[in-house]
Amino acid sequence: METTMKAYAILGLLVLSNFAGDVSALSVTVNDVECVYEYVLYEGDTVSGNFVVVDHDIFWSSDHPGIDFIVSSPGGNVVQTMKGTSGEKFEFKAPQSGMYKFCFHNPYSTPETVSFYIHVGHIPNEHDLAKDEHLDPVNVKIAELREALESVTAEQKYLKARDARHRHTNESTHKRVIFYTIAEYILLAVASGLQVVYIRRLFSKSVAYNRV
Amino acid sequence: MATKLAWRAVIVFIWWCVITTTTQAIWLDLPNSGTKCVSEDIHNNVVVLADYSVINNQEDSHLHPGATISVKVTSPYGNNLHHKENTTHGQFAFTTTESGNYLACFWVDGNHRPGDRLTVSLEWRVGIAAKDWESVAKKEKIEGVEFELTKLEGAVEAIHENLIYLKTREVEMRQVSEKTNARVAWFSIMSLGVCIGASALQVWYLKRFFHKKKLI
Repeated sequence: METTMKAYAILGLLVLSNFAGDVSALSVTVNDVECVYEYVLYEGDTVSGNFVVVDHDIFWSSDHPGIDFIVSSPGGNVVQTMKGTSGEKFEFKAPQSGMYKFCFHNPYSTPETVSFYIHVGHIPNEHDLAKDEHLDPVNVKIAELREALESVTAEQKYLKARDARHRHTNESTHKRVIFYTIAEYILLAVASGLQVVYIRRLFSKSVAYNRV
Repeated sequence: MATKLAWRAVIVFIWWCVITTTTQAIWLDLPNSGTKCVSEDIHNNVVVLADYSVINNQEDSHLHPGATISVKVTSPYGNNLHHKENTTHGQFAFTTTESGNYLACFWVDGNHRPGDRLTVSLEWRVGIAAKDWESVAKKEKIEGVEFELTKLEGAVEAIHENLIYLKTREVEMRQVSEKTNARVAWFSIMSLGVCIGASALQVWYLKRFFHKKKLI
């Protein structure tokens, strides 16, 4: 009888210590459609994450039209849709357990690099506690603390991706300033040189004779 | 009888925990031709652990029993960190020596019927997520609540390190911004000077030219 209780206690502890996983902030190049799949263990888990479009090689306009982001549940329903965005955070409660599909759609011809982060978090609730009397409420609090820390880490990854995009724009501005200014000086010198040559030709002897 | 059942349930659950912990990974669809690459910007001196395996879709597992993929992992300066051909699963681990974009590329090998869809399961752990907590627990002989709190302490330290790293990146970017700002001002004023100088030179040269031609 005692060993049965011990077995169930270990089982309970294992349930709580096996927290649902997450993936590091990976970047993927989206040409047309890129889909990433992540498995959600329990129904009711909070799936959170963010994505940022990093490569923004737009020449003239200041803002990219953005990409579309669609999350589908294992049953085929669309859980979340974000259209025309260049970076967003998302969070939803999983309606069922199974394989969720996270898709990025690029409606334009230039390939974009998207950096994304997905985290599936599980907090044992009163139902799990009621099932096994040996589960400590401390474990619930620890799980909540872990989820709070994971959300801070997720924000940091989002900040890092945004910082990478900002740095990309900054370095592009720096290069443009130097290149375009030097090109402008050279073109100015060439234009004024061409003006002088043209005026000289207007007053050259051969032309003057023709005028006479 | 009940004890045996309970212990068997524990063993099954441990097995399930191991399976699900190792399969908490993302799945990627591999195109029939061309490569699929994932990358991450990692800074110096960070442990990277990755595990990849080909997933057989249940419906057409009988269609491509010999489907294999090839993997190549490169560092930001182009060094080859891991290269494997004709494989269905594998893993690699390294500690970063350069700061930059690390690229892992997958492609389908030639001996594969077109039309089938290959899915690769990739588990990519960087930094604190790659830490081997089991060995820490064994070494320090901690378990239960103390072990969970030690893991949380590690997570908090990782957050702190990340914040410091973000701060240094922001410092570099601010320096570039301020340099660009100063340069815009200087180059605009200089462009005005170049314009005035060029037109003055033009006027002086044309005056000299017309003087020589005895026109003025």
